[in-house]
Amino acid sequence: MEKDFLESRLNINRRKFLSRLSLGIGSVALGSLLIPDLFSGNGADSEADFIPGIPNFAPKAKRVIYLFQDGAPSQLESFDYKPKLREMMGQELPASVRGNQILTGMTAKQASFPLVGSFYDFKQYGESGAYVSDLFPHIGKIADDICIIRSMNTDAINHDPALTFFQTGAQQGNRPSMGSWVSYGLGSENKNLPAFTVLLSKGKGNGQGVYSKLWSNGFLDSIHQGVQFSSGENPILYLNDPEGLNRHERRKMLDNLAALNDINYKQFGDPEINAKIQQYEMAYRMQTAVPEIMDVSKESDDIVKMYGPDCLVPGTYAANCLLARKLSENGVRFVQLYHQGWDQHSNLPQEMAGQAKDVDQASAALVTDLKQRGLLDETLVIWGGEFGRTNYSQGKLEKANYGRDHHPRCFSIWMAGGGIKPGLVYGESDEFGYNIVKDPVHVHDFHATMLNQLGIDHKKLTFKSLGRRYRLTDVAGNVIKGIIA
Amino acid sequence: MRTSHKGFAEGLLFTLNIFIVVLLLAGDSLVVPQWLQPVGRLHPLILHFPIVILLLAMVMEFFRFRPEFANEKLYQRFTTYLLVLGALLSSLTVIMGLFLSREPGYEGGTLQWHKWFGVSVAFVGYGIYLWRNTAGYTATIAKTGAIVTIFCLTLAGHFGADLTHGEDFILAPILQKENRKVPIEQALVYQDVIAPIFETKCQSCHNADKMKGGLMLTDTTAIRKGGKTGKLFIPGQPGISLLLQRIHLPEEDKKHMPPVGKSQLTDQDKMLLYLWIKNNPDFKKKVIDLPATDSLRTLASTRLKPAESTEEVYDFSAADDQDIKKLNNNYRVIYALANASPALAVNIYNKSTYSVKVLEELDPIKKQIVILDLNKMPVKDADLKTIARFENLRQLNLNFSDVNGSGLKDLASLKHLKTLSLAGTKLNPNVLGQIIAIKSLAELAIWDTGLKPADIQQLQAANKKIRLLSGFKDDGKPLKLTNPLLKNTSQVFQQSFQLQLSNPIKGVDIRYTTDGSAPDSVKSAAYKPGIIFTQNTVLRARAFKAGWLGSDTVQFNFYKNTYIPDSISFLAAADGKYYADGAKTLINKELGGTNFGNMKWLGSQKEMAILMLFKKPVELHSLTLNTMRNIGSQIFLPAEIEVWGGADEHHLKLLANQKTAAPRKEDPFAIISEECKLKTAGNVSCIKLVIKPLQKVPDWHPAKGKPGWVFTDEVFLN
Repeated sequence: MEKDFLESRLNINRRKFLSRLSLGIGSVALGSLLIPDLFSGNGADSEADFIPGIPNFAPKAKRVIYLFQDGAPSQLESFDYKPKLREMMGQELPASVRGNQILTGMTAKQASFPLVGSFYDFKQYGESGAYVSDLFPHIGKIADDICIIRSMNTDAINHDPALTFFQTGAQQGNRPSMGSWVSYGLGSENKNLPAFTVLLSKGKGNGQGVYSKLWSNGFLDSIHQGVQFSSGENPILYLNDPEGLNRHERRKMLDNLAALNDINYKQFGDPEINAKIQQYEMAYRMQTAVPEIMDVSKESDDIVKMYGPDCLVPGTYAANCLLARKLSENGVRFVQLYHQGWDQHSNLPQEMAGQAKDVDQASAALVTDLKQRGLLDETLVIWGGEFGRTNYSQGKLEKANYGRDHHPRCFSIWMAGGGIKPGLVYGESDEFGYNIVKDPVHVHDFHATMLNQLGIDHKKLTFKSLGRRYRLTDVAGNVIKGIIA
Repeated sequence: MRTSHKGFAEGLLFTLNIFIVVLLLAGDSLVVPQWLQPVGRLHPLILHFPIVILLLAMVMEFFRFRPEFANEKLYQRFTTYLLVLGALLSSLTVIMGLFLSREPGYEGGTLQWHKWFGVSVAFVGYGIYLWRNTAGYTATIAKTGAIVTIFCLTLAGHFGADLTHGEDFILAPILQKENRKVPIEQALVYQDVIAPIFETKCQSCHNADKMKGGLMLTDTTAIRKGGKTGKLFIPGQPGISLLLQRIHLPEEDKKHMPPVGKSQLTDQDKMLLYLWIKNNPDFKKKVIDLPATDSLRTLASTRLKPAESTEEVYDFSAADDQDIKKLNNNYRVIYALANASPALAVNIYNKSTYSVKVLEELDPIKKQIVILDLNKMPVKDADLKTIARFENLRQLNLNFSDVNGSGLKDLASLKHLKTLSLAGTKLNPNVLGQIIAIKSLAELAIWDTGLKPADIQQLQAANKKIRLLSGFKDDGKPLKLTNPLLKNTSQVFQQSFQLQLSNPIKGVDIRYTTDGSAPDSVKSAAYKPGIIFTQNTVLRARAFKAGWLGSDTVQFNFYKNTYIPDSISFLAAADGKYYADGAKTLINKELGGTNFGNMKWLGSQKEMAILMLFKKPVELHSLTLNTMRNIGSQIFLPAEIEVWGGADEHHLKLLANQKTAAPRKEDPFAIISEECKLKTAGNVSCIKLVIKPLQKVPDWHPAKGKPGWVFTDEVFLN
């Protein structure tokens, strides 16, 4: 054995070191042969799995209409029935329930956290027996057509990051919006309209802003950007021809411009030039397609009664719902509505009633309208805000007046159509409506599920930017199988 | 073994270990070429050698320092050779394993455990080999190293076996059979949902051998028969069924089932039994035969395996890419249903370019079209003949097209047509037979087609499986009208204005008043275009229509402003945050609305002073300032307004000063026009307006002691 030890010591010399080094380098070189893109900086080519514009598998839904309730409506006055909170009205929120939840600056310094039950009663609706508050009687009536998820949760506790998170899958605001991802993933159905459109409306309740970064294309090609339709005479800014220019002249001008652009393209080969030509052409076709869509005068009386008479008042939520149906019917992949005014830090019972009145009838009508046209099967309708609201009162608790602060841990949304199980209530919160006890659905899971319904594997829908691939769900998200029909 | 052999082996060992490091670092980027894959697949073969050899080597290493072996030449050399051979083989096995793991089908937690324990074996083995002949290597280290290696080896082997043979391979025969979930499409309500509840919670006492209470729950005849106390259930009447009574008794009750101490029914179990009995217990019914929204089905489906992917497999081949490309244009969009699917969807847009030719041209891809969307196209019944050629069509949308149904008979030849949408078409009731003839239909949209409820019933009776979408029915309840809208561009006028009211709903009667009273549908004036007003007006209006509830009353204020200054500027400006369009805001004829932060209001906590100049002198009688009161937001009426006038800014006289009453806590939100009547009317070319905010907010306000805010959006000069 001593000999072995002696030999071992003799092994430590320059000759040995150099020969080992060369062996080592050789081995590394051999290994590197098996990593095709080691030096090209591209990694394995998993993008080959995904061809933009074609779903990975047969989709259930072809289009999405997202009725975003901006400002975060309270789940406790809408879809999450918690009789316990009424029983314990005014009592302190048990510390064990709150756990380590960090509160916003608005209530963190509050001396007490009195529990507050819903000012409004709940009823059970439909075969499914889902509980819906009296603020939403029309949505109650379509309870058997929708799937209520009471176990949503998010990472952010303030409006901007939470909203950005819901829309882009990240809180920072430099990523593509989900509508842009869908446009990128599925392409446009109707080449005469943008694939991703945005409609805004505003209720009387305390509101939070929405801003164009929410429908930005981020690092995706600019053709995937959300196009905002406004309510005035020019629904899309700068779409109309200038006065005195007729259609024929415009055509001639576009042809000449395209010829010039083409010369430039041949010289420089910049693909953006081609994109520009395409966009001019699309704008030209939109000039005829858009006025036809915006014209609601031909809608029947039944439709007006369904959506409520406000649907003829441009800029209202009801009008936007009607418009959303028309856009979706015409092949717009993603119609994003925002209804502002759901931030009830105070005066909740009164403000929420107004907000609910704005949206209840038209939201339900949209689902019914799609259904009666045979379109609900292929259109995914989503209704919900960016987070929930606390089960305790913000500010002073009065019998008919209280507020609720932001609550990211648990809130409710609903979905309809697009291959989502109808008449289902999914997930459960504890009896305080504070924590999720069953089947949590995170925002990433929600995104993954939405993409799945559109025939896209959320892990395959990637885009490479700044040296790494991004997904809408980034590195998380699981498809919620339980809500898929 | 000669020294040179040993040196070669050591070099190889070193090389292989470096290679492993490279492969591990590469991770997911590693791509194994096809010709190397067989090497990877040798992994399960080779791995037995390192297990045995390394195991033996480690046992010998464990005892290496024993005095009786320390000088045993054969023992020492044999250990060395075994060790180097074992380490070599384990490195080789690891490399093969890493290759194999890149093949599809290998993923998940077990693989990760197997991989890292396997890699540890190779590294620890090599580590021991490098270390074992250096000075610091003692008997204790040798023993520890041997144990660690054996430990890793065992676990790597265990997880590897899990991978190839499945988990619990060895113990499977003696472990209890796992309750496997049945796919929903095969599941029977009784056998796969209800029986498992009996099986796990009841049958230990109610079986053929035990039969407590004379009840046996193991076969269906015995279940129907019930026990000593009587029948187990009365179909359709869960409330008086014995089974449910017993399980719902309080747990303290002697008759409560299952007895205390036994595993209890969950709420869901109870609910399932309740619904099963309510639905008239049936032992043969399939879960999917229940209506889609049935509660029993919804609950049951949570206990069953969700439907297998319903992706349809098409038996036709894909169309030629060139054909698709050629046929695709801006108004005829053709796209593949999914990646690698032969099925195509076709959407047609733009009424003015549609003709049956648009469809006829699709002939080269007629086999592949499964979805055709002709929503709102002027499709005629004759065109359906062309559509009938798309033999694999599954889904056809003819909503709001020009068909009246006479051509629907042609669609009967479409064997796969499942969804047909005819909403908004003018169907003849006599085409019902033609629709019924399309046997494959599963869903039919017939809303707004003029079909009567009796027709719809007939359709449903003829085809029980079809889902009819008849849609919205007016329930006759009157709805409230929308409010009248003001079309006038500005509510500020110089001489006169023509009132322009409108309502988006056709045939609405708008009534209005100007005396502040609420308008009604009888006495109040009816709005007609062309009504002209010349004075400040408070207009209240309401819309009426037969069959509807009247709208809310809306109020519009109109303000007369005779003189417009030729220039306006701040002497003391508004707050930078509420600066709007500067001093011009006051004469822009645009009122600010109710939101003070919308950049249409000038706001300040300090005194504001505004200078207005006229080229020609004007005869001024009054100055009216439009201001906001919003006590919750600390906005109060101006404490004092001063109006100075004169020929130029150096010769100004105080023409009016007006103070407002002290604010009260209960003052509501309001927009108030403060009119300052001049003491002496006269010609002026220059006006200075001074607006002083409340100096100290009263004590009852949260901001007590601080200066109040003052907000104004417009000034009227008359």
